[in-house]
Amino acid sequence: MFRIYPKTLTLFAAAAMVLMAAGQYAIWFYAPEEMTMGPVQKIFYFHLPLAWWCFVAFFGVFAASVMVLWTGKEKWDVLAGVLAEAGVLFSGLALITGSIWGRAAWNTWWTWDPRLSTTLVMWFVYSGYLVLRAADAGGAKGARMRAVLGIVAFVDVPLVFLSARLWRSIHPAVLASRSGGLEPEMWTTVWINLLAWGALFAAIVLARYHGAGFARRVEAALVRIQEKTLQ
Amino acid sequence: MRASWLAIAAKDLRLAFAGGQGPVQAVLLGLLLVFIFSLSAAPGDRFSPQQAMAIFWLCSSFAVVLIFSLLFRFEEENDTATALLLSPLPVQGLWLGKTLAGLVLLVLCQVFFFPAALVFLGLDPGGSPGGLVLMVLGVDLGLCILGGLIGAMGHGQGAKDALLTIIVFPLQVPLLLGGIRIGVGLMQGLPLADLGEWFGLVLAFDAVFSGAALFLFPHVFRGE
Amino acid sequence: MMASGTLLDLRAVSHFFGSRLIFKGVSCVLEPASIMLVAGPNGAGKSTLLKIMAGLLPPRSGSVQRRVEDRAMAFMGHQTFVYPALSALGNLEFWNRVYGRGLDDAGLLGLLERVGLKGFALEAAGTFSRGMAQRLSLARVLLVEPQLLFLDEPSTGLDTASQALLHAELESARTRGAGIVWISHDLERDLGRADTVLQLSGRSMTYFGPAGEFPGVAA
Repeated sequence: MFRIYPKTLTLFAAAAMVLMAAGQYAIWFYAPEEMTMGPVQKIFYFHLPLAWWCFVAFFGVFAASVMVLWTGKEKWDVLAGVLAEAGVLFSGLALITGSIWGRAAWNTWWTWDPRLSTTLVMWFVYSGYLVLRAADAGGAKGARMRAVLGIVAFVDVPLVFLSARLWRSIHPAVLASRSGGLEPEMWTTVWINLLAWGALFAAIVLARYHGAGFARRVEAALVRIQEKTLQ
Repeated sequence: MRASWLAIAAKDLRLAFAGGQGPVQAVLLGLLLVFIFSLSAAPGDRFSPQQAMAIFWLCSSFAVVLIFSLLFRFEEENDTATALLLSPLPVQGLWLGKTLAGLVLLVLCQVFFFPAALVFLGLDPGGSPGGLVLMVLGVDLGLCILGGLIGAMGHGQGAKDALLTIIVFPLQVPLLLGGIRIGVGLMQGLPLADLGEWFGLVLAFDAVFSGAALFLFPHVFRGE
Repeated sequence: MMASGTLLDLRAVSHFFGSRLIFKGVSCVLEPASIMLVAGPNGAGKSTLLKIMAGLLPPRSGSVQRRVEDRAMAFMGHQTFVYPALSALGNLEFWNRVYGRGLDDAGLLGLLERVGLKGFALEAAGTFSRGMAQRLSLARVLLVEPQLLFLDEPSTGLDTASQALLHAELESARTRGAGIVWISHDLERDLGRADTVLQLSGRSMTYFGPAGEFPGVAA
């Protein structure tokens, strides 16, 4: 049966609110402006947490899928689904912010960078996964199928990354040098925003999990009512 | 054990060619793709080796989807899937048999795609033929390993197996990149040793997904 | 060769589809050289029970023990399990290899003769009528020489001759020592052939015991 965690949700949502406010303050008023890029560099404070949490989400889909096969419990299937939703949302935003950054930094909306390309391929894979979830009739067998997809998708990630890196062996070193050139205030801003997006991520996942849980409860109740009336 | 998965592969090939059909649908679609892509260059212009290889692998990628959809459709009529599940054949043997049959059919398709790429795209088959065969087999194997696993998910799902393509294609990306890059390298006369990393990647894909399929296939192909 | 002891042992088996109870509390045993008839109205879960017995479905709770190897088990249902594009002989050749029976063509043709299909050995099974396809399915069962045989209303749509053939082969399988679980619609007709009866009704097992003491079809 689905347990819900309203207090935890409230906690995460409140933390997200406070941390987001602090994070925004840090981005615009606390962190110094970067010398060469100017204000555009501030996108980085959005981009990095989004990219970070989307990979956490995809790993979560993998872990929850393993649990589906192991325990057969429906809640893991639901959790995998909501994590994939959050992952696709976050990776989509990471791609958009990354693209804007690329336009400013490298003068192009899109370039072949291993991390960028891997994120794009993953966005495709997990979007496909969500479409399949939405199309499936469900049931115990459907949950296993989805779990297999969730595992296969994650197993593919390192291979995609390796192939993307081999594909363009002289990839731009901008990303590597960037983190080296951060000032302490910038680091603090990064950390605050990482936590803020993490709290928001947890709140979104938990809220969606509750929603899906309630939907199943209503379904189960309807089945019981039907059975009562049929008897 | 060995005899029975070979029996699956042999049976599937017999079924595929019964009625003289074979992988005709996959071959035709691939040829059509090559032809349509040939229109993207001005008359007289040649395609770069990279473009030509990319189109070749795109055709193969589409062919794999059609082939495995066909192979698993065989087990739907009269519910032979249930009979196989009840048989002493380990369910992984079914995956192995299907993968093998798919590999044979895919290579057969490529026998048509390759000359078509030569004619329509001006692909120049220079370099080491041995390396080329090795590369094609390595990449094909990966495509079929994945196809055998994901194809089984479409089983009994009606129209839903078409949806599976949206997840199969992005999963194939490492293999396709490998196939394109090795193919181009070989045609430009690079020695095999220079392409070692790419071969390693293709083999890693084959190994990782073989392991995943052996573990996951019993969850996909079940009697429910 | 006689198997000693029970072939099949179910204890307190229950099953659900999602949260819907199909049946609960099914316990039964199947002895060698016996036929168990499974009775019950439509939707009582007879086919589901058979699948659980055959190991196709794991039960939600309870235990199922089969003391027979997979290669000595056969299943015959309304589905014919026939590859329509292969010939009758081709179908048998395939199952011969999968079950590792090692019969030669003469042996397989002998099986086809037993089910009256020898004259059609090289014809594609897709052209067969339902009765013929089901006879081919019977030939597959004979090929396996099962110790444990599951039948899910196999006689649906069979003519009298095919039904007589099926019944004769069931008798000889029982004489050989096989245990048979048989879902039948026509209880009146088949009760006489059974040793035990299991009845499912109202989501639970309402009878399991000797066929001779079966009180009759529940309303």
